[in-house]
Amino acid sequence: MNLRNRQLIPSFSRPPSRVLIRKVARYEEDLLGILYESLREFALPVQDKTVFLKANLVGHDPRGFINTHPAVIAAAREAFRKLGAARVLIGDGPALDRDTQAILESVRLTEFTGKLGADFCDLNIDDVERVLLETRASLLKELYLPKTVLGADYFVSMPKLKTHHWAGVTLSMKNLFGIVPGSCYGWPKNILHWAGIDRSILDINAAARPDFVIADGILGMEGNGPIQGNPKQAGVLLFGDDPVATDSTACRVMGLRPEKIDYLNRAGTMLGHLEVPKIQQLGEPIASVSTPFAVVSEFRALRETGTK
Amino acid sequence: MNRPVSPHLSNRAAGSPLAGVLGILADAQNSDGGWAFAKGGHSRVEPTCWALLGLAHTGFAQPGMSGGLDFLRSQQLPDGSWPTTNGMSAGGWVTSLGALTLAQFPANEKSVHAALQWLSDDYPRDSSRWQKLLKSLSARKQHAAHNDEFRGWGWTPRTSSWVEPTAFALLAFAAVSAKPAEASAGFSASGPAALPVAPELARQMSDRRPLAIGLLYDRMCSGGGWNCGNPRVYGVDGDSLILPSCWALLALGDTPDHPNRAASLAWLEKSFAAIAGPGSLAVAQITLESYNLPVPLARRPLADFSLADLAGQGTHVAAWAALALNPSRVWPARFSQSSATTRQSQT
Repeated sequence: MNLRNRQLIPSFSRPPSRVLIRKVARYEEDLLGILYESLREFALPVQDKTVFLKANLVGHDPRGFINTHPAVIAAAREAFRKLGAARVLIGDGPALDRDTQAILESVRLTEFTGKLGADFCDLNIDDVERVLLETRASLLKELYLPKTVLGADYFVSMPKLKTHHWAGVTLSMKNLFGIVPGSCYGWPKNILHWAGIDRSILDINAAARPDFVIADGILGMEGNGPIQGNPKQAGVLLFGDDPVATDSTACRVMGLRPEKIDYLNRAGTMLGHLEVPKIQQLGEPIASVSTPFAVVSEFRALRETGTK
Repeated sequence: MNRPVSPHLSNRAAGSPLAGVLGILADAQNSDGGWAFAKGGHSRVEPTCWALLGLAHTGFAQPGMSGGLDFLRSQQLPDGSWPTTNGMSAGGWVTSLGALTLAQFPANEKSVHAALQWLSDDYPRDSSRWQKLLKSLSARKQHAAHNDEFRGWGWTPRTSSWVEPTAFALLAFAAVSAKPAEASAGFSASGPAALPVAPELARQMSDRRPLAIGLLYDRMCSGGGWNCGNPRVYGVDGDSLILPSCWALLALGDTPDHPNRAASLAWLEKSFAAIAGPGSLAVAQITLESYNLPVPLARRPLADFSLADLAGQGTHVAAWAALALNPSRVWPARFSQSSATTRQSQT
């Protein structure tokens, strides 16, 4: 994965990023077909590789709009297998509840994936490795991160499209809070809040930058996210080879201005592309799928002109 | 749960419902004496503590127990704290767990006292005067309604108070005054009857307890039980979770009766039948038994989980299952009958 490649590259010398938007109205559609064809467009180097899918599994979700939907996770797993991956691991380190098994039962993940066994990694209790945070965007100098993530050949962030009451939005970059292990930092990982949420997001993404993003926006969350918001039907899946570009595009789909989100704005200088001209837009045009997400009052400034 | 008992265990455990779980723990011990969260991983403080507590008073062989205790003592930092993983230079919430674990075994007074001193000196930053001033000036001050006069403990030093680390610190404080039951056959350590604490440390602990107990009650969710410590955010009630609720209830077991504790016990009893994971199930059972309350029927009894299920969820889950299945456990303590009486009068 890119931890060893050091993808801190200024925007002006970074090649254009690619983001693909697919309209998908329901989780009952042929997700495997959609994901397989979408991933093929990127010609991903996953043949014989170990792929790690970092889902967003936050907590109990009886109404199905808090976590990355298990149908999307299962389809991604199968799609990467069809693309030749030697092994596809799934994992997360839930931030608020250490009973990951209870969350998995609530999410009904194995109903979609089949028995996972050792192919699921509870990142909260994985063996860890010390990683120096060379970006020093936050006050943190180092983090202990899961070996399973650091050792994967190909790292995929799979967020849900959600607004967030502290960070504005939680997408593929904020999703990486879940790789910070609770067994080291607690439930919640409060040290990241004290170090600054926005800046911690930058440090973590610089240390373990996802190679690819698959964002579940079929049913997202608006308002008081990431847990207590309201369901928001956006009817899209987003795919991207650059977390910054994919999150920026997701913001635009959500009717929000990415440059107004502190961590995304900063990430655009070194971790990926924020600006539309630097992003090769594939699939559906943003305008055809854009639907405004409500935000808590502190984040009114994120809204694009003309949205409520 | 039938499984040949580990050679590290005495015959006493063989054939009992406990044997398979103890076998998981015994077989997962590393050569350095400690335990990892998963067999074959690196030894760490938290799983080692849980394994020692789970194996205590079960007939686990003395060399294995001594190796675990040696590993635990070797990980203690010079300031008395324990780090959550090897290499970290600062201690964290596992200091409470380390202290309460060592307090169950003899000849650990020095380590336990150093840990308690560290805990007594460790104040979360969110309730400092400076932070209170900043919060009073912040537009966000009303979004998570906490009473900042209370102070507990954080997961990491100089952060915020949370329910579980506060509960574990209270349990560590209680461990030095708790009186473990007499040792069962096969394990010689009966634990200290009580660890005398220097007057100044005792005073500091005494000062911290009411603040921490007050914090737990302040952070209780509407209707009983606890989550991590945010019962209400942006005007929306949070849901209670099993594990934080159980640790809080265990920490409050030796405190005077309180209607919120009774409400939380009632919430736990009501929630018990829906518990899905074996870890939460085991800890919930232990909690109710500690309050001398009947354990309701589970959706899936603990004994129905396969050993692979338990082992796959980590050493801590196997250890919690061992504690739940062990009628001779000495930790957590059983509380007086009055707690149950209060709960029944409330419901």
